[in-house]
Amino acid sequence: MSRSLNPTSDLRAQGVVVTSIQDFYNWGRKNSVWPLQFGLACCAIEMIASTMARYDMARFGSEVFRPSPRQADLMIVSGTVTKKMVPQIVRLYNQMAEPKYVIAMGACAISGGPFKQGYNVLKGIDRYIPVDVHIPGCPPRPEALIHALMTLQEKIGNQQLTGESRPRHLRANAPSEFLIPVQGPHDVEPPFNPDVWNAPKVPARG
Amino acid sequence: METLEQIRARVVAACPEAVVDLVLNASPSAQHSLRVDREHVAGVALFLRDDPGLRLDYCSNVTGIDWPDRTEKVKVKRTVEGVEKEVEETRTIPGFLEVVYHLYSIALKHGPVILRVRTIDRLQEVAVPSLTPVWRGCELQEREIYDLFGVHFDGHPDLRRLLMWEGFKDHPMRKDYVDPDDYEYEPTPHDRVLERAKAWQDRGGVV
Amino acid sequence: MEPLLEFPNHVVLVFAAMAVGFGVGPLILARIWALTFSPRKPGIEKSSNYECGLASAGDPGGNQNIHYYLYAIVFLVFDVESIFLIPFAAAYTSLSIGALLTMAVFLLLLAEGLVWAWLKGVLTWY
Repeated sequence: MSRSLNPTSDLRAQGVVVTSIQDFYNWGRKNSVWPLQFGLACCAIEMIASTMARYDMARFGSEVFRPSPRQADLMIVSGTVTKKMVPQIVRLYNQMAEPKYVIAMGACAISGGPFKQGYNVLKGIDRYIPVDVHIPGCPPRPEALIHALMTLQEKIGNQQLTGESRPRHLRANAPSEFLIPVQGPHDVEPPFNPDVWNAPKVPARG
Repeated sequence: METLEQIRARVVAACPEAVVDLVLNASPSAQHSLRVDREHVAGVALFLRDDPGLRLDYCSNVTGIDWPDRTEKVKVKRTVEGVEKEVEETRTIPGFLEVVYHLYSIALKHGPVILRVRTIDRLQEVAVPSLTPVWRGCELQEREIYDLFGVHFDGHPDLRRLLMWEGFKDHPMRKDYVDPDDYEYEPTPHDRVLERAKAWQDRGGVV
Repeated sequence: MEPLLEFPNHVVLVFAAMAVGFGVGPLILARIWALTFSPRKPGIEKSSNYECGLASAGDPGGNQNIHYYLYAIVFLVFDVESIFLIPFAAAYTSLSIGALLTMAVFLLLLAEGLVWAWLKGVLTWY
């Protein structure tokens, strides 16, 4: 059996913690993810429940729901996004300081859900803003939201500080603001932001 | 509570110039309703609210109905080449919009009495008098009907769109409403959605 | 025990330097970090004043009701009154009868002004 040659774990076994700046930075960020406080529909009830004593999202360092986009790191789009509400959501996302993340919570926020073919519901918030974690469910249970938060923490933990694969907020030429749709006479215009989303190529079977 | 026939007789006695029809509902629920003409509906509504035997003080629900234009085949006697014949003709019956009020009495604990009002047609003459001055609770529901059906309520204190934004042109609950063509991504299409998703493919939108 | 004859003054300086360094050091580090890794991305939407999600409409410099200024002046008068009253109350036991009388006249004038404003309806908000 060959012995591990990883100096970090060897030192840790001896009680010495060694880390890199990148890991230290990500460790700090992922354990203080402050969500933006807003709910759109019934999913928000589950989001509230997951911050309360029984589920207690505070264990993961994200207990402080901020009432201002300027102080928030995470936007939880919890519920049905109506076309009347889209410009406000995108504007709030634009006003958040970098680095910012989005969790699309529930079937409606992912795709429009049961209201997909309705006249007033957006077919998924990922048409306008980049979504990091999708949670299916109608509504998702608080455990699912906590799982999404843990997935997001894992994602934050693996982000590179330098190099080509570094995330959007560390690249100077990547956008921080996204197009705010306009409410037109028949629909929101444009129906999606082509810089963020394009229709996946699936054949319509039937 | 009195039967609807009795109520109708008393309404006609109180407002003699009003045209009040009994609309029968053949279904097991047998919720018959009263149809009142536009000009006199406000007076009839006041009578229904204030009459001591009815006191319908609560309007629980306001609904819109869109009746599109329909065609009907009728047999008409015509003189064709000197011979009188029975010819089948189609004729178009113009559609209209209808507003339905469900009235209850909290004071006397009875109801519902259902009131219907019709517009003249679906496109130009779409005004009916508002009953918000009679029942204050109609305000938001009449705004919703204005928004989704396009019925114009004369005398409404604040007639604005309720659910859709200002500047939206359509009326989504009308039968001939065509929703925006954004069927570019339909992972599980069926029926009408499948047709529109295929139309997108045929235009080369999605492979 | 032998008393400390000479207090080492340079210790205070060391502590002061530590206190300032503890406060300013992280700020400098954060600035260096930001310059090295995170690019600034300001924008029109991002730096707009309001954070309710709606686009702001209208002129923020709207007119105030003239009534507000009367109300504000009455408030200011009684605010200044409390500034006079606090030292008076603190030195109350060692003051002469004359000082007490002066203060009583001052308070009476103020109370009279309050009654006048009250009767004029300045305190009614509409």
